[in-house]
Amino acid sequence: MDDPVAPFLLEEADERTLAGRAADGDVRAFEVIVRRYGGLLRAHARRVLGASDQVDDAVQDTFITAWDQLPSLQDPAQVRSWLMRIASRKCIDRVRARREHADIDDYEPAESPESGPARVVEARSRADAAAAAISRLPPEQRRCWVLKELAGYSYDEIAADLELPVSTVRGLLSRARKNMIREMEEWR
Amino acid sequence: MTSDEPIRDPDALALEPDDLDGHTIDELSDYLDRDMTPPDPSIDGSAGCQIALDALERLREVSRAVLLADQAAPVPPDESWVTRVLLGIAVDARAGRDVPLTSTEPGAELAITEGAIRGLIRAAGDTVGGLLIGRVRLDGDVLVPGAPVRVTVDASVGWGQRIPDVVSRIRDAIHTQLLRHTELNVVAIDVNVHDIHVPEGFVRGVER
Repeated sequence: MDDPVAPFLLEEADERTLAGRAADGDVRAFEVIVRRYGGLLRAHARRVLGASDQVDDAVQDTFITAWDQLPSLQDPAQVRSWLMRIASRKCIDRVRARREHADIDDYEPAESPESGPARVVEARSRADAAAAAISRLPPEQRRCWVLKELAGYSYDEIAADLELPVSTVRGLLSRARKNMIREMEEWR
Repeated sequence: MTSDEPIRDPDALALEPDDLDGHTIDELSDYLDRDMTPPDPSIDGSAGCQIALDALERLREVSRAVLLADQAAPVPPDESWVTRVLLGIAVDARAGRDVPLTSTEPGAELAITEGAIRGLIRAAGDTVGGLLIGRVRLDGDVLVPGAPVRVTVDASVGWGQRIPDVVSRIRDAIHTQLLRHTELNVVAIDVNVHDIHVPEGFVRGVER
């Protein structure tokens, strides 16, 4: 006699199942993907864009592109990193458009208050402390660090997407790393 | 203070080439990226480098923690956010080709889309219970009546079931649904179980 079958809901499904179903046109599976990764992509967009009213727009745009491209996703088990790449691209497009209009970067506020404690040393968890430390990086440093360490970009990819020389990207990352290490060591 | 100044006491940790036996924090980060291979004795033998490498490694761990925390965060601020995303997607784009069906009415043409056939197959799997169908592939010329068609499905099976039994139940369910709603000449139904789903807290000592 078989053991009783545990209920297996779509909400609990693995990435490959969800991505496969959504690629075949299952909107319910795609909705699970949107709910599962919506928060992650919003946090990511907020870090790349800085405090901005474009965050929601960029994330919604990300999901629309994701839906269109799901059928050609090579490794459906890598949905998370694939979504982060699409989101990065959507955010960078917006950063570049902003740059063309005005040099806002210099006085862009670091982060909205909802996204974490302002002071690293007051953070309750290591992840909170790191999130706060990231939010305190200057915009260009923060952007490079988030793309490299959270979204998995290479130096060349960051340089190409941000339209900066690789040497500039390396310099920004070097400063970002030192700042992050110092903040995090202090939290320890 | 301007935004490019170091955020805290710059002497808290020694991270300049003078402190790292001539290496830079970037080189150490790249070294970590390539899993410290091939070994570099000038890094491995430097106390300053080892301290900085430890700090970089902790930073990398914390990056993973940030991603997990982001993912665990309450998702959309409100339901309308999810609704707006779903309204923005082009659902029709997945319909695929029209697969002809024989019509008993003279002059009327009947068809079912490939997308609808995939939906039937998923629904058949879902009714079996304890498993979820993923991607569905139809191989063969579905547009030619009677042409052999092979169905391949990806499936994730819930914990605690005998896989051969489940697979046999899915194949039966899919076959029944396809016979009922289509005229495809199904010659094979292949089920590829890619995941065993262990519900959280359902079984102790089982790693996913």
